[in-house]
Amino acid sequence: MTATRGSARRTNTGAGRALVAVYGVFALAATARASVQLATRFAEAPLAYLLSAAAGAIYIVATVTLARGSRTSRQVAWVAIVVELVGVLTIGTLSLVDPAAFPRATVWSLYGIGYGFVPLVLPVLGLIWLARTRPAAPARAHATRSA
Amino acid sequence: MIPALAYLVMALAGVAVVWGLVTAVADKPPGRAQLLFAAGVWLVTLTQSIIAAVQLGGGFQPESLPTTVGYLIGIVLLIPLAWFWANVERTRFSGVVLAVAALAVAAMTLRLLALWTPAA
Repeated sequence: MTATRGSARRTNTGAGRALVAVYGVFALAATARASVQLATRFAEAPLAYLLSAAAGAIYIVATVTLARGSRTSRQVAWVAIVVELVGVLTIGTLSLVDPAAFPRATVWSLYGIGYGFVPLVLPVLGLIWLARTRPAAPARAHATRSA
Repeated sequence: MIPALAYLVMALAGVAVVWGLVTAVADKPPGRAQLLFAAGVWLVTLTQSIIAAVQLGGGFQPESLPTTVGYLIGIVLLIPLAWFWANVERTRFSGVVLAVAALAVAAMTLRLLALWTPAA
């Protein structure tokens, strides 16, 4: 248990900086897209556009928390990225089953095909990165519920 | 939008993408020339957005004005943010950060060209 590999590494260093950059681009893209949709065509597809906005918000949270890299922000990042993964899988599947409800209107439609499937790969990379930078086990046990 | 300028932006951004990936593979942080090149790509991108803004001001009506304006503004934020983020911690991944931003600039320029059709 004294292995130093991966202990106390922050999410905002090394490869994490590239990951944050990609998340940042998607935060910008998804939020801007949703803003335009909500402002101009909300009545056309309220569900899809609200999901679009939710996706944008999740990308912003993931970007900020990964960029901060503190213990608390790691935990928030876990939640955000799990939601992101569930979201892209759910919306991707729904948009296949019921194309009318999701007229390619969100970043997650068809598993993010409009963005080169990066939205599908990104949460997987995010979770791998969080796992790899997980603080060493003893420290984590000590920290549990102590804050 | 001027198509020739858009293609220039995409070409320069493409070079920045490759350059960033090359230094990452070589395990080196971006060099001075590379950072200056990124700044140059940003200047050309900024010029493109200013010209497009003038054209919009001159009465050109694209298919979707809000989307077009959003792209024209968003595209000039990317490289400065990436520049900052890449220089705070200078490693091989700084090059990847610059490459990501440059790729987004190229993709957004392509999208802008497609958006730049007169409203029916």
